[in-house]
Amino acid sequence: MKRWTVASYTIVVVFLLGVLVPIAAVVVNSLKVPADIFTPTLKLAFTPTLSNYAKVLGDLHFQSFLTNSTLVALGSTALSLAVGVPAAYALARLPIRGREFWAGGILFTRMVPAVALVVPMYVIFQRASLLGTYFALIAAHTTFNLPIVIWMMRSFFEELPPDLEEAALVDGSGRFGAFWRVAVPLTAPGLAATAVLCLLFSWNEFLFALVLSGRDTQTVPIGVASFIGTVSVDWGGSSAAAVLALIPVFVLGLAAQRFLVRGLTFGAVKG
Amino acid sequence: METLTRPGPVDTPVRAGPRRRGRQGRRLGYGMLTPSLVVLAVLIILPLAYSLVLSLFSWKLTDLNLPKPFVGVDNYTRILHDPTVGRALVNTVIYVVGAISVELVLGFVVAAALFEMTKGRKLANALILLPMIIAPVVTALLWRYLLDPQFGLVTQLSSAVGLPSGIGWFGSSGLALPALIAVDVWQWTPFVVLVMHAGMLSISEEQFEAARVDGAGQLRILRSIVLPAIVPQILLILLFRTMDTYRIFDTVFVLTKGGPGLSTETIGLYTYRTGFSYFDMGYAMALSVFILLTVLVVSAFYIRLLRRREAL
Repeated sequence: MKRWTVASYTIVVVFLLGVLVPIAAVVVNSLKVPADIFTPTLKLAFTPTLSNYAKVLGDLHFQSFLTNSTLVALGSTALSLAVGVPAAYALARLPIRGREFWAGGILFTRMVPAVALVVPMYVIFQRASLLGTYFALIAAHTTFNLPIVIWMMRSFFEELPPDLEEAALVDGSGRFGAFWRVAVPLTAPGLAATAVLCLLFSWNEFLFALVLSGRDTQTVPIGVASFIGTVSVDWGGSSAAAVLALIPVFVLGLAAQRFLVRGLTFGAVKG
Repeated sequence: METLTRPGPVDTPVRAGPRRRGRQGRRLGYGMLTPSLVVLAVLIILPLAYSLVLSLFSWKLTDLNLPKPFVGVDNYTRILHDPTVGRALVNTVIYVVGAISVELVLGFVVAAALFEMTKGRKLANALILLPMIIAPVVTALLWRYLLDPQFGLVTQLSSAVGLPSGIGWFGSSGLALPALIAVDVWQWTPFVVLVMHAGMLSISEEQFEAARVDGAGQLRILRSIVLPAIVPQILLILLFRTMDTYRIFDTVFVLTKGGPGLSTETIGLYTYRTGFSYFDMGYAMALSVFILLTVLVVSAFYIRLLRRREAL
């Protein structure tokens, strides 16, 4: 018994080191001057500097990537919630025909690979003169966020005890009142977690942003990728950019921690 | 933390006029569902249909407004004879199978260890999830640094302890694909751990008690109680990981661009390149339809398995 406990803690600690060391390395690099990074052996004693951040935010205008990402993430999250939450309730509670058919169809949209969508979307948006606009990116990100909203919120609505909504029906609130005044407030934590996940997925998305964004609408992943392509990588600058991209992700991710796995499995694994 | 089967809808309204209320509920239901269906139809079905039609023509991105010659299924027969597609599919399958098998084995070991822990489980959970919320592009950057042959952490550490160092992982045609698989394992094993762990938490304590009374050892319990109990979670992992590894793009694009040579070319990357580097849009659309069809066949297979077990 004892032996197994020791082994278990060892396994988890080693795994956590494997998870954390690469992240720590990039944070440390972002605080180093080039002379401290480009060494044949690891240099742990160094004077930390914020010069990389100053450069990335100053000369390289990284804040415009941050602004674009924020706008696109908020736009696609708002659209997905506004359209998806009522649909989720209908699929969870209302007596519509073919409920499983529609839910299954929506699940299938999660399986559509982005690369299969991005090729025709590029042509369509080009014809409509929408290429490079925030609208194009928000629309593209809604293709993955809307199905997530529907499936996740459906699982939250189904967990509510039906009595409360039935009571609202008896009070004469009607079905929509039961939804809007009872079910939505009661699932507020789930709603917040769903919103956080949508922001996260949009913030991290790369392929749609690569193809559909223009010079003025490029998002953070494009900014980060632009550091890597070159022959000599600016490790200090790219690490600082990576950390700037990571901070909001870690804040959001830890806030939605309980529901993260649920979101990634479309509500199938309750966390 | 458990996988629940879903309860039925509330379509038994209380007291007056059940039939009238049912009809009203149905109408409201369609009203609430329709906007989502319209958005998904416009944003997903319409582009896919557009792809399907335009994949029957031969045209370059540069002559978008010129008349396009109709070539029927030529673009599709070209897929069958394209050696790059063959190579990309082989690479993609190696990537999918390699990454998922390592993730499943490693994930099970760590999930079982986590399950055994009595203290610090919450903290461990919070730290474990970090890789999977990082943007794949940032993950790529992390690993580009770690595996850099001159100044990377792996080189610095292995030279410090006298191991062979200075290996250019992403620049070597034999090592680039395994290195990309390692990046996937780093980013997604946490997902496997957390899903399996959630499954383990739903096993009832009596089952463990009964096994212990029978004198079953720890390995025996893992094999004959824990493993069978988490089969639905394993199927879910297979579904989501297969879909996501099959469409792998971001890390490959950033780290190797499919190279050296064709050693890390994947089907998603090749489609992107056909459209946006060679501007061969008719063929790119045929390729994207091909990817879609293969994905749908595989996911339909998994979803049927899952539905049979009431896990989705």
